[in-house]
Amino acid sequence: MVETTQLELVTPARIMTQKLVQMVVVPGVEGLFGVLPRHAPLLAGLERGVVEVHEDGKVTDRIMIDGGVADVSEKSVTIMAERAIDLATADLAVLKERAATAGEAEANFLNAVISTL
Amino acid sequence: MATLKDLKMRINSVKSTQKITAAMKMVAAAKLRRAQEAAVSGRPYADRMRSVTASLASKANVNSAPEMLVGNGKSAIHLLVVVSADRGLCGGFNGSITRQTRSEVARLQGDGKTVKLLMVGRKCSDALRREFGKHFIDSLEGVQGTSVAFSDAVEISETIRNGFANGDFDVCTMIFNKFVNAITQEITLTQLIPAEISSVNDSDAGVNYDYEPEEDELLESLLPRILSTQLYSALLESSAAELAARMTAMDNATRNAGELIDRLTLVYNRSRQAAITNELIEIISGAEAV
Repeated sequence: MVETTQLELVTPARIMTQKLVQMVVVPGVEGLFGVLPRHAPLLAGLERGVVEVHEDGKVTDRIMIDGGVADVSEKSVTIMAERAIDLATADLAVLKERAATAGEAEANFLNAVISTL
Repeated sequence: MATLKDLKMRINSVKSTQKITAAMKMVAAAKLRRAQEAAVSGRPYADRMRSVTASLASKANVNSAPEMLVGNGKSAIHLLVVVSADRGLCGGFNGSITRQTRSEVARLQGDGKTVKLLMVGRKCSDALRREFGKHFIDSLEGVQGTSVAFSDAVEISETIRNGFANGDFDVCTMIFNKFVNAITQEITLTQLIPAEISSVNDSDAGVNYDYEPEEDELLESLLPRILSTQLYSALLESSAAELAARMTAMDNATRNAGELIDRLTLVYNRSRQAAITNELIEIISGAEAV
């Protein structure tokens, strides 16, 4: 049985992801860092970037966040982000449409998402 | 004495009012479900944000902690953020907020403080404009409604933060209606600056966290977020409470209209009966005279 850690990604509107994962890579303000089970407790500020969920050495989920905070404990990773978009289900046309009508900060983030897709 | 035709018209007019209130009630009920869901699904973020900030704040150095957390040492100028609705016809919803604000302003002024007001929602700002218009620093509309956007909360929180940084006020409190259940709303006062953060529970306090970047720097970047989060959840709660209040008010109005219709119908039938009896008496007495 592979050890896992509980990943939670919450935005103000809802809980985006909630599942057991083997490893997650998070964009910290002082650089990317990976979180494995039994990680030392850590509270880290996050930058805009992609949260990557790793399973068996492969990336299974990629979620773009617009900065936030990560609360890491031995058994869990909680990522709080004001904006987050799952890159797997994101649709370029829909994002472009939203970016055109959204406010400045939102549009800025959406354009960043579009450029990474 | 109203004629039969007048009564008929009254009944019809009450009937159409009843149709409107019944429709409004159903619309509010449908929207309430969505607003309630939004308020509930917004809670995890707010809760986690609060617990993270609390654990960080408990370890922060008192002397170097940001002013947003510990205050700037003064309490001469108070800013009240008043969250009401943009629309009426929701029972005592706006009235109770207005009343609470008025008494809060009176209390603070009685203590010799200066009061400033930031109004969110049209109804309450309309009600207080004549009295306290000169204390308004801003009044916002169209923030609530069926869908509350997080970016709106961020905008308001930026206004508040800039004001605090410029020394426009020392203490900031928010007044809003909290959604308890479909028939109760509770007026809640939350102090935003200095941040009122409940202490962490014991199990959390024991953990030795690493911080990246340093505690103070992290706290500095977290406090604006927690402010936006608090505003956002207040807006969500207030929208749900508004719809709940409207639903109850319209339900009462529909029932009252029903009662009025029953009473008017009784009067109408009685007058019709009286008219018939009169006619009969005339016919019979006419026949007897011959």
